[in-house]
Amino acid sequence: MKGFRWLVIVLFLLVTLVPFLWLILASFKTSSELFSAPFKLPEHWSWDNYRSVLESHPIPKYFFNSLILAVSSTILAVAIATLVSYAFMYKFKFKPGLLLLITFGIFIPTNAFLVPYYFIVNWIGLYDSLAGVALVYAGVSLPLSILIVKTYMESIQHEILEASFIDGASVHRTFFNVILPISYPGMTTASIFLMITAWNELLFANLLTQSEGTRTLQVAIRFFLSTFSANYPVAFAAMVIAVLPTILIYSLLSEKIIGGLTAGAVK
Amino acid sequence: MTSRQIYWYLAPALLFTVVFFVFPILFVMYVDLHEWNGLGAMKFVGLDNFRFLFDDPSFKTATVNTIYWILAGIFLHTPLGLLLALILFKKPRGWKAFRLLFFLPNVISTTALAFLWYFVLHVSLGLVNNGLKVAGLTSWTHAWLSDPGTAVFANMVPFVLYVGFTMVIFLTQMSTISPDMYEAADIDGATSWQKDRYITIPLVKSAIGINIIFNTAFCLRMFEYPLLMTNGGPADSSLNLSLYIYREMITANRYGVSMAAGLVTILLGAVAMLLVFGVLRIGERRGLR
Repeated sequence: MKGFRWLVIVLFLLVTLVPFLWLILASFKTSSELFSAPFKLPEHWSWDNYRSVLESHPIPKYFFNSLILAVSSTILAVAIATLVSYAFMYKFKFKPGLLLLITFGIFIPTNAFLVPYYFIVNWIGLYDSLAGVALVYAGVSLPLSILIVKTYMESIQHEILEASFIDGASVHRTFFNVILPISYPGMTTASIFLMITAWNELLFANLLTQSEGTRTLQVAIRFFLSTFSANYPVAFAAMVIAVLPTILIYSLLSEKIIGGLTAGAVK
Repeated sequence: MTSRQIYWYLAPALLFTVVFFVFPILFVMYVDLHEWNGLGAMKFVGLDNFRFLFDDPSFKTATVNTIYWILAGIFLHTPLGLLLALILFKKPRGWKAFRLLFFLPNVISTTALAFLWYFVLHVSLGLVNNGLKVAGLTSWTHAWLSDPGTAVFANMVPFVLYVGFTMVIFLTQMSTISPDMYEAADIDGATSWQKDRYITIPLVKSAIGINIIFNTAFCLRMFEYPLLMTNGGPADSSLNLSLYIYREMITANRYGVSMAAGLVTILLGAVAMLLVFGVLRIGERRGLR
C-alpha cells in the first residue's frame, strides 16, 4: 500500500517536473544540438537564446498587461459580487427570480458568446484596450464570484444585521462597518479563482486585442511557436522567460493561494 | 427590513448580467438565423445555418470530440485528482511540497502547458518518443499529434495529468472530516483502503460534485490545447466546438454559422449539466455506497 502511494507520487512528479526541466535544458542548446541529442546537456551553456528573445520581444510588458488585467477584472467582479451578496441578505420583491437571473450564467459556455462580446466591446469603444478585456473577464466570471461570496455571506448570522440597526446604523454603514470586514474569506476565495482564470485566459484576450501594447502573456506565448519556428531553442528561452515571474510569485505566495482556496471552497 | 437602498447594491450585478449574459443570448439567437460576414447587412436565412452545421463533417467531429473531452474530465481527470488527494491526505513525508508542486501547472497557464506539451509529444525531438527510444521501445514511438487517430487524445494528456486544482478542492474538504472517525475505524481494525472507501470518499461527495461540474464546464470551453497543439488537425480530427466557433467567425467570416454552433454548444452544455446533476442526485440518494 505504501509502495503504491509512493509510486503514484513519483509518477505525478515526473510528468509535472520533467517536461519543465527538459524545456529549461533545451533553452540553452543550439538548434542542431536539440535535434541530434534531445537528452544530453548542452555543450556549452550559452545565454544567446535568451538575449535574442529579450531583444526582439517586450516580455515584461506582456507580463504587466496580464497582471493588470487579472487584478482589475478580479477587483471589479468581486466588488460587484460583494455588493449584490449583501443585498441578498435582505428580503425584497422578486428575490428568487433575480437570484436565478444573475447566476444562471455559471452554466453557459461563454465561448458561445464570441460574436456578441466582440461587438459589445467594439460598441463601447474599448476594442484593443485592456479595459475592454477586463470588463469581459469581470462579466464572464461574475456569476461564479456571486455564488462564492454569497455562499460565504449566508453563513453570517442575520442577528448581526438587526443588532447593527438597533445601534442606529444605516444600510450603507452596516455594509461598510459590519458586513464587509467579516466577508474577507469569501472574497479571497473568489479572488483567487478569478485571478487564476483571468491570468490563464487566451480566447477573449486574443479576440479583443490586436496591437502589441495590449498583448497579454498568453497571447504572446501563442505567437512564440510561429515567430520562432525556425529556431525552437529560442522559443524555449522565450517560454522560460515568460513563465519565470509567475513561478517566482507562486513560490512566494503559494501557501496563501492554496490557503485561500481552502478557506472557502467547501460550501 | 426591506429598504429601497438595497436596490443600489443589486444594480451593478444586474447591469453586468444584462450586458454579458441576457443580451448575448438574444444576440446569438438572432444572428444564427442570418447570413452575416460581420460587416454588411444581415440576411435572414431561417434555419439554413443549422442545416449547414449538420451537413458539415467537421462540426460532427467537433461535437463528438467535445463530448470526449467532457468524459475525460469526469472519468479520468476527476478520479486522478481524488487518488492524489487520498494519498496526500495521509500526509506522507513532504506532502506539503508535493501539494505545491502538483498545483503549479494551474498558475503557469494552459497556453504555456499547451506549448510545452506540443514539444513533449513532438514526433522527432519530443520527450515521449525519445524516452521510448532510450527505453528500447522504438516500435511504440508514434506521431502522436499528427495521426488523426490519436491527435484528439494527445491533446488531452496534459489536462488529464495536471490535476492540482481538483486535488486541492478534494484536500480542502477532506481536512474538514473529524479525526475521531478514523480513530474509531482504527479501533475496529480497518485497513487504510477501507478507511478511504467507507469514510473519506463518502464524506467528500460534495467535492466530487463540485469538481465534476467545474471540469465539465472547463472541458466545454477548452480552447488552448486544440488550438496550440494541433490547431484542430490533422484534417480537423482534433477540432472541438470552441475552435469550430472561433474558426467560423475569425477565419471563415460566417458569423451566422459560428453562432449557430454557439447555440448548439450552449444546449450541449445544458444537457451535460442536467445529466451530471441527475447522476449526482441519484448517487446522493443511494449514499454512494
